[in-house]
Amino acid sequence: MSTEVQLLNVQIDGVWLQFPKGTKVIDACQQAGKFIPRYCYHPKLSVPGNCRMCLIEMGMPKMTPDRKPVLGPDGKPEIGWIPRPQISCAQDVAEGMGVRTDSPMVKECRQGVMEFLLINHPLDCPICDQAGECRLQEFSVEYGNAESRFLERKVKKPKNVELGPRVTLDAERCVLCSRCIRFMKEVAHDDVLGFVDRGGFSTIACHPEKTLESNYSLNTVDICPVGALTSTDFRFKMRVWFLKETKSIDVNDGLGCNILIGSREGHIYRITPRENNDVNGNWIPDSHRLNFKYLQDGTRLLHPSVGSQQTTWPEAIAAAHSQLKTAGKLAMVVSARLTNEELYLAKRLASALNITLHDILPRVGEPDGILIPADRNPNTAGARLLGTTTETPGAHLKDILTGVRNGTITGILSLGEDLLECGFTHDDLAKLKTLVATSILPNATTAAAHVVLPGAAFAEKRGSIININGRLQRLNKALEPAGQCRDDWEILGDLLSAAGQSHALHSIEDVFRSMSQDVPAFEGLNLGKIGDLGLQLLTKPEAAKPLATA
Amino acid sequence: MTLPADLLAKIDEAISHYPVSKRSASLPLLHLWQEHYGFVSDAAVSWIAAKLELQPINVLELVTFYPMFRREPAGKTHIRVCRTLSCQMAGSYQLRDALAKSAGIDIATWNAHMQGHAHGDQGHEHSPAKLTGHAVHNPGHGNPVAVSPDGQYSIEFVECLASCGSAPVAMVDDMFVENIKIQDAAALWKTSASQATRTRSTPPHPREHRLIFKNIDKAGRGNDIETYLSEGGYDDLKKALQTAPEALLDEVKKSGLRGRGGAGFPCGAKWSFIKRGGPKPTYLVCNADESEPGTFKDRYIIHQDPHQLIEGMIISCFTVGASLAYLYIRGEFPEGAVILEKALAEARAKGFLGKNILGSGFDLELYIHRGAGAYICGEETGLIESLEGKRPYPRIKPPYFPAVLGLYQCPTIVNNVETLCHVKHIVHMGGEEYAKIGRPNNTGTRILCVSGDVQRPGYYEVAVGTVTLGELINDICGGMKPGRTFKGVIPGGSSAKVLRAGETFKIKDKEVALEDLPMDFDSLAAAGSMAGSGGVIVMDDSRNMVEILNNINEFYAHESCGQCTPCREGAQWMKKITDRIVAGGGVAEDPATLKNVADNIAGKTICAFGEACSWPTQSFLAKFKEEFAAKSTKALPPPMPPEYTRDELVAHDSIQAVPAPRGNGHEIMAPAATR
Repeated sequence: MSTEVQLLNVQIDGVWLQFPKGTKVIDACQQAGKFIPRYCYHPKLSVPGNCRMCLIEMGMPKMTPDRKPVLGPDGKPEIGWIPRPQISCAQDVAEGMGVRTDSPMVKECRQGVMEFLLINHPLDCPICDQAGECRLQEFSVEYGNAESRFLERKVKKPKNVELGPRVTLDAERCVLCSRCIRFMKEVAHDDVLGFVDRGGFSTIACHPEKTLESNYSLNTVDICPVGALTSTDFRFKMRVWFLKETKSIDVNDGLGCNILIGSREGHIYRITPRENNDVNGNWIPDSHRLNFKYLQDGTRLLHPSVGSQQTTWPEAIAAAHSQLKTAGKLAMVVSARLTNEELYLAKRLASALNITLHDILPRVGEPDGILIPADRNPNTAGARLLGTTTETPGAHLKDILTGVRNGTITGILSLGEDLLECGFTHDDLAKLKTLVATSILPNATTAAAHVVLPGAAFAEKRGSIININGRLQRLNKALEPAGQCRDDWEILGDLLSAAGQSHALHSIEDVFRSMSQDVPAFEGLNLGKIGDLGLQLLTKPEAAKPLATA
Repeated sequence: MTLPADLLAKIDEAISHYPVSKRSASLPLLHLWQEHYGFVSDAAVSWIAAKLELQPINVLELVTFYPMFRREPAGKTHIRVCRTLSCQMAGSYQLRDALAKSAGIDIATWNAHMQGHAHGDQGHEHSPAKLTGHAVHNPGHGNPVAVSPDGQYSIEFVECLASCGSAPVAMVDDMFVENIKIQDAAALWKTSASQATRTRSTPPHPREHRLIFKNIDKAGRGNDIETYLSEGGYDDLKKALQTAPEALLDEVKKSGLRGRGGAGFPCGAKWSFIKRGGPKPTYLVCNADESEPGTFKDRYIIHQDPHQLIEGMIISCFTVGASLAYLYIRGEFPEGAVILEKALAEARAKGFLGKNILGSGFDLELYIHRGAGAYICGEETGLIESLEGKRPYPRIKPPYFPAVLGLYQCPTIVNNVETLCHVKHIVHMGGEEYAKIGRPNNTGTRILCVSGDVQRPGYYEVAVGTVTLGELINDICGGMKPGRTFKGVIPGGSSAKVLRAGETFKIKDKEVALEDLPMDFDSLAAAGSMAGSGGVIVMDDSRNMVEILNNINEFYAHESCGQCTPCREGAQWMKKITDRIVAGGGVAEDPATLKNVADNIAGKTICAFGEACSWPTQSFLAKFKEEFAAKSTKALPPPMPPEYTRDELVAHDSIQAVPAPRGNGHEIMAPAATR
C-alpha cells in the first residue's frame, strides 16, 4: 500500500499551491497565509457551517465537452467561478480548485456577517472577560462598521447564568456557533447543552434538570469564540492582555497535557490547554487546569528548617548532610512528580550516600476514557528510565517500611512525598533517627522531618518529564519560586556537593548534559531540542508498562 | 409517572414506525402527550427523553422550537387564527380582536405583547406578557397564547394555515373553518363541524385542465378506498409493478416533470442521483409540509383524494427502490393526518402496502409523520432533520445532498405532494403523452392557488403555461373587486419577487407585458420572479405595500430557524424596520438599509430561506420605491447620546442630540442634521 498522500493543485488568490488530499479549504488558505475568519469552525469538531463568516469565492476548472480542463495561456487550468459565495469550512480542496479570499464579494460577505452578529450584541467589551481574545473584537477591526445602523430594540436574553459549577453564560454575547454543544456531545460525551427557542431568540441552554458539570466543561470556555461562556473561576480576575503566557506541561497525571500558564507579577490567574495533537489535542480536564491554587494560597513551605526552626539554606544543607551521613542504614522515597533532571540527581545522590533501597509512590486511579489515564504520576516513565524505581513501581516501598519497623532502616530521605501516603504511620516516622524531606506543602512527613528543604512547584521550574506514551516534554518556568524555595535540582546538587561529589552543575542545562552522558536514551538531546511540543523518546510499550497496585 | 394504558399503547405504536431510530419518534410522542394532557409539561420532556433514550435537552430543544407545542395549558376551546398575508388582507387581525373581545381577553395587552412592548425597553422582548386572566406563553419566538379569565377560551395568532383562497381561516381545536366573517367571530367558539373536506359547488373553470384535482369538489364523493378503486384507482400501481423500475424512471424523465414544491427541479434527474444496489437503503419522503404563504393545493389532495397521493408514492418508491417511506404532513393539518392514516390502513388491507405488494416481491412500509408548525420543515434537509427527531436545521450542501446523505445518512428522495401525484398520471398516460400537456420544459398541469384581491380566489389546475397572468386574474378569477384596480402580484408563494402592474419584461428579445406573461417556470423566472409553489397573491390599489411587506417580513422573522447568522439576525431586523416604518417611525435611510440587509442575507445562508426572506424586501423596495420613501421621512437620530427608544422614534419628528458636555474643543459628535 502506498503511503504517499496525493497532492492537489489549488489556486489561492491567484497563486497555485499544493495541498494534501483531504485538507479543508479553510485550513489550506490558512497554510497559504490567508487566514479566513471563522466562529463556528473548529478543526476538532464536526462542521455545522452556521456562522457564515468563512464565506469565500470558489471555482472549479472549466471543462471541455470531453471532461478535460480548459488551460489558460499560462498552462494552468482556467477557473469557472461559482457566482454565490461558498463556506470554506465544509469542503475539501479539489484538483484545480480556485479560491479567492480577498475579493470585494468576500469582503462584503464578512462585513455583512459582522454587522449581523453585532446588532443584538450588548457591546459590553469593557466589562467582558473575553475582551482581548474575542473573535468579535478581532474581526471587527477588519470587517466592522464604526457606527451602528441598528435603530431597533435589541433582543434580550438571559445573562449571568450558571450553566454548571465552573461555567457562566451570557446569552446576549453568544453568536450561536454551537461549538460548546458540539464539544460536549462529541468530545466530552455528555450531551447536556442545546439550543432552545428559535430564530433570533435562539439561546444556548442546559436542561433545568442537568448541569454542565463534566470534568471537561471549561474547554467550552476556551473554544467559545466570544464572551458568552466564561470561566467562573477566572471571571473578573484579570484582563487577559496583562497575562504572561508560559508554555508548560500539566503534572496531574501521566499524560502531561500541554498547557499555557497565564500569570502576572508572580501570580497564576489561569491555566489553559495548549494544542498538541500527539498528547491532549486541544483539551484538558477541569480538575487539572484548576489545580494551581495550592501554589499561592499561603500554605506553602517557604523556608528551609532544621528541627522545625527556620534557617538558611547553607545551614540546612549542612544539617541535612550531617544527618544523612550519621543515620546508619538509609532508604530513599522519591516522587514520580519530579522531573527527569531531579530524578537523575536523586539517583546520583543515592549512590553517594550508599542508598540501595529506593522507590517511588505509584498513584493509580480509574481512567476517564477521554484524557485522564490510570497513572496519576506525571513521570513514572522517567523514574523507570532513571532507575529510581523498578519495573514494578512501588514494589520496594513495603521493604522500606518493613526495614523501618524492624529497625534495619534508621534514616529516610524523602524527595517530594508524604510517607503517610506510602503506608507509614506517625509512629513509624517517630522511630526514624534521620528524616530529611523536600516538599512543596507541609504534611506529616515534613512535620516529623529533622530537616525540611522546600522545593519549587511545577510552574516555578524548568525540566523534562516523560509521559505514559514515552513522550519527552518540557516544563517551563512561569514564576519565581515562592519565598526561599529552591529548584529541587539545586537542592540535590548541594547535597551532592556536601557528600563530597564534585560536579559542575551550574544550571539545569548542565544537569541535562550530565544526564545525557550517563543515560543513553537522552544522548544528543538538550532542553532546547525537546521543543514546545515534546518529542517521542521511548516507544509506547516501553513507557506504558503496567503499574503495580501496591 | 404513570401513563394511561391506551396512551402508552399509542406511544409504543408510534415508536414502532421508526425502525431505524427511536429518536425520530420525538415529535409523534410530543403530539400524543399534548393531545392527551393539553400541554407538554417539564415532566413530559423528561419522560419522553427517557423513553427514547435521549438527553432531556434533546426534547426541550424541540418543544421550544415548534410553535404548536405548548408548555402550559390553553383554554378548553383553543382557536388558532391565521395571521399571514392573505388572511390579514381578508381581516384576520380584526377577526383576532373580535374573538378576543368575545372571550373577554384584553386586546390592548395582547397587542402590546405581540409588538414586543410588554415590558418596555428594559424587559425581555420575548418574555411572557401578563395577559388578562392567566397568561400562557411559549417563551421566545412562540405565538403567545392568550387565555380568557375563566379558562374556557384561548386564542393563538399563527402563521399561514394554507388556505389563502378562503381567507380568513382558523382552526377551532382540530377543526378547520374558512371564509370567516368578522361579525360571526363569537359563534366560532361553538364550532361543531369542520370544513376541511367541504366541497365547493363551483364547477371547474373551462380553461382548467384537471388531472390532479380531477376528483376534488365532487359533491358526495367519499375519500375512501372503495370510491377510489371504483374509479380505476391503483390500476396504475398494478401496471407499474409489472414494469422495470428503470423503465419507469425513463418515463418520468421523458415526461419532463418538474418539482412542484418551489424550485422546479426536474424530477427524473433528481431520481437518477440515487444509485441502485448500494450498501445503504433508499428512503422516500413526501413533503406535505405545505406552508409557503399563498399556497393551498396539497390540503385538498390530502383531504379529498388521499389515495391518489398514496398510489403516487408507492409507484415512486418502487421506481427509486425505497422500502421505507414517510409522509411528512404539516402539524396544522391534524384532520388530514387522520384521513391519511385511515387511507393507509385501507391500502394496507388491500395489499397495496406491506410485504410482497400484489405478488410483485416489492415491500414497502409507509408512515405518516406530523410536523408541528415550522415552515423550515418544508426545506428538504430541514424536513429530514425534523424526521430524525432533531431541530429542523437545514444541512449544508455539500456534503449533505439528500440523494447521497439524506435520512439517517442514507440516499433519500424528497418530493412534493403534487409532484408525487403526477407520477401516477405519468404511469397512466406514458411519459411522452404527459409531456404533450403544457409547454416544452414546462410540462404537465399546475395547480395555481390564487388569493388576495380578486373576485374569485381559489385553486385552478391548468396546463403549465397555457394561461397568462392576465387571463388567470381577469378571466379565471373574475378580475379585481368592484371599483378597484390591479396593483401588483406575487406569482409563486410569498417568497417570490413581487411584480407590479404595468411592468414589461424582455423575454427572448420580446417585450412582454405583465398580463401577457405565461404562468410557467421559465417565463416567470425570466421576469425576475418564480413560479415557486404556485401561490398567486393579488393586490389591488387599496393596499399599502409597506404594510404588505411588513406582514411578509413578520412571517419570515417568525419562521427563521436561527441556525445561520444572516437569516437569523437579518430576517428579524428587516421585520423590525418595516414594523417601525408602518408605525410612523421611518427614517430617510430605512429603504437603503432594508435593501442592504436583504442583500447581505440572500445567497449567504445555509438554505434557500435566505432568498425566501430577502426577495420580498428586495422586490417590494425596487418596485414600490415611492411608497417606502413616503413613509421614511424622518431624520436619522444621532448616535448616542441620548439613548432613545424605537417608540420615541415613532412618536417624535426627530431626536435631538444632547449638546456636547464640555463645549468647544471637546465636541463628541456633530448633530444629526449636519452629518
